[in-house]
Amino acid sequence: MAGFLKVLLRNVLEGPSTDPFPLGETFTPERLRGRARVNPELCMGCGICRNSCTAGAINITHMDDGSGYTIAIWQNSCCLCASCRHYCPTGAVSITNDWHGAHPEEEKFNRLEQHTIKYEPCAGCGALMRPVPAALARRLYAANPEIDPEKIRHLCPQCRRREDALRNAGVMSATTTETVAAGELTSAAPTTY
Amino acid sequence: MSLDKTLKKFSVRSPWLFRINAGSCNGCDVELATTACIPRYDVERLGCRYCGSPRHADVVLITGPLTTRVRDRVLRVWHEIPNPKITVAVGICPISGGVFREGYSIDGPIDRYLPVDVNIPGCPPRPQAILEGVVLARSIWLKKLGLEE
Amino acid sequence: MIDTLLAILHMTIFPGGIFALALGFFCKGLDRRVEARLQRRVGPPLIQPWLDAAKLLTKETLIPKTACRAAFLFAPVFGFTGMAVCAAFIPVPGVYSGLSNMGDLLVIFYLLPLPAMALMLGGSASSSPFGALGFSREMLLMLAYETPLLMILLSVAMLVGKNLGAESSGAEFSLLRIVAWQQENGSLGFNPAMIPALLAYLIFLPGTMGVAPFDIAEAETELLEGPLLEYGGPLLALFTVTSALKTFVVLGLGIALFFPGTISSLWPVNLVWFVLKCLALMLLSLTLVKSATGRFRIDQAFRFYVTIPAALALCSLVLAWVM
Repeated sequence: MAGFLKVLLRNVLEGPSTDPFPLGETFTPERLRGRARVNPELCMGCGICRNSCTAGAINITHMDDGSGYTIAIWQNSCCLCASCRHYCPTGAVSITNDWHGAHPEEEKFNRLEQHTIKYEPCAGCGALMRPVPAALARRLYAANPEIDPEKIRHLCPQCRRREDALRNAGVMSATTTETVAAGELTSAAPTTY
Repeated sequence: MSLDKTLKKFSVRSPWLFRINAGSCNGCDVELATTACIPRYDVERLGCRYCGSPRHADVVLITGPLTTRVRDRVLRVWHEIPNPKITVAVGICPISGGVFREGYSIDGPIDRYLPVDVNIPGCPPRPQAILEGVVLARSIWLKKLGLEE
Repeated sequence: MIDTLLAILHMTIFPGGIFALALGFFCKGLDRRVEARLQRRVGPPLIQPWLDAAKLLTKETLIPKTACRAAFLFAPVFGFTGMAVCAAFIPVPGVYSGLSNMGDLLVIFYLLPLPAMALMLGGSASSSPFGALGFSREMLLMLAYETPLLMILLSVAMLVGKNLGAESSGAEFSLLRIVAWQQENGSLGFNPAMIPALLAYLIFLPGTMGVAPFDIAEAETELLEGPLLEYGGPLLALFTVTSALKTFVVLGLGIALFFPGTISSLWPVNLVWFVLKCLALMLLSLTLVKSATGRFRIDQAFRFYVTIPAALALCSLVLAWVM
């Protein structure tokens, strides 16, 4: 009992330790996992985030005409595990520390992180593809100074392979476009699952 | 202002909380207990009190994805709560099913069966987010009573 | 006719009714606030009990289909009426001397268990198994704490009666005379023979108010508020009002029995002094104990009440007899 009284007295003397929120500001740790974000500049649409998402919160829909895709993260299904961030090869997915999630029921389905991303034509063959992010390309080809990362990131995998083969054969010519017929446009986009 | 309106205006300052566990993994329940019991988050400042009986409740906090086994009990307890009541879904499970969605034993999300008013996503939501949800529930309660803040 | 009118005024405005309710709700608000401070929290505003009551009035009333309707609706009214009448018997030293001048201590003793009886009635009428459990616990607890209370009242009555000598026949059961005697000869709280009784009264308070560690009947974690389980809305508001009135009654009774001293001849000063004494008594015996303890089991509580406070009260009784 005396021990309790000592604790009580100390509590009174030290005063409340209550956080002022919701009447005032609160603290937010830097690394708190809150809302997930997608950087549309970096996203390649590879789908690894969707495959690794525990809660099935990520959806990637390809457009019917093959001109791009839509990536959507539904915050109301996201279990904040950060697998998507961990596995994303380009670092397009990030988890912000925004935890202000409470919302009325009417907004339930509006809480999306959604981006529609268009494909770009390959600099070599013109097939539709996503260019490799510049930073990633620089890192990938850091050991090969003879390759220009700015140039190669705009090539589709097939053209890259050609480029590689030509370089290995000692022919240092630039991409030859005449081999590809005008009507043979193929899509280099990931296959639809 | 009439007496009735004054009473109603004052009434939202005493939201008594009642929690229903609809098959939750207990993560959200731990956060609710944290919100209730830890001096840092002191939910009593808002006039809240956790009550044991559904008859005393105003704000119902539902956690868990609504499993098949617990569904009828949850619905029964929910109907025991006198009107006006505010239903708050805490965590992603009652909102969307979360990691348990489309499981063989899951009947949720909860808004298939109950009219939900406030959603607090998170797995689990942090106590501040729950407090934010309770504040939001208060303003929705005012709206339900026909009074705007 | 005038007497009846006056009695009704005493029951509805001062000291019963409005005054008792205001003081009781203020006590409850302060209690919650101080408890929060003792636990390093901020706590609710002081007017929180009023807000709670206002909220409950706006809620709908649900009556269980299997409940005994009449008893279920009647129980809160029963407890409330009992306490409203009882509050009028509480003297406010220097301001108001009580409703009657003979035997009112006995009337208070009979009226005091009414809220607990109302709880028992409501709990058993609600047809809920938790209500039934709460009923049995409430009854056991009541049996346990009424014994020391009776002995406390007896020892005070005996001591005053013996000292008044020829004016009274053995024991003195008039609060008016008990208060008057103490104002002349010093408060009983400072009388060595009565200190065990005072301690027993302090232990009796949390039991009769149903707060920790004796909130066994309403234990919200195990019994889901026990007898109050099925009550909601205005009926529950009536129970909280009853509880506030009871706070006033037991605190006022404690003041009248042990510390009825006045500090001035002006009635407003005496009133404030009375309120301060009530608050001090409440903080000491309810808030401090409540925030420092957990909950007893019912058998522990029963054994505790029939041994320690009963022994203390018996000690005072014997001392009052021989001295």
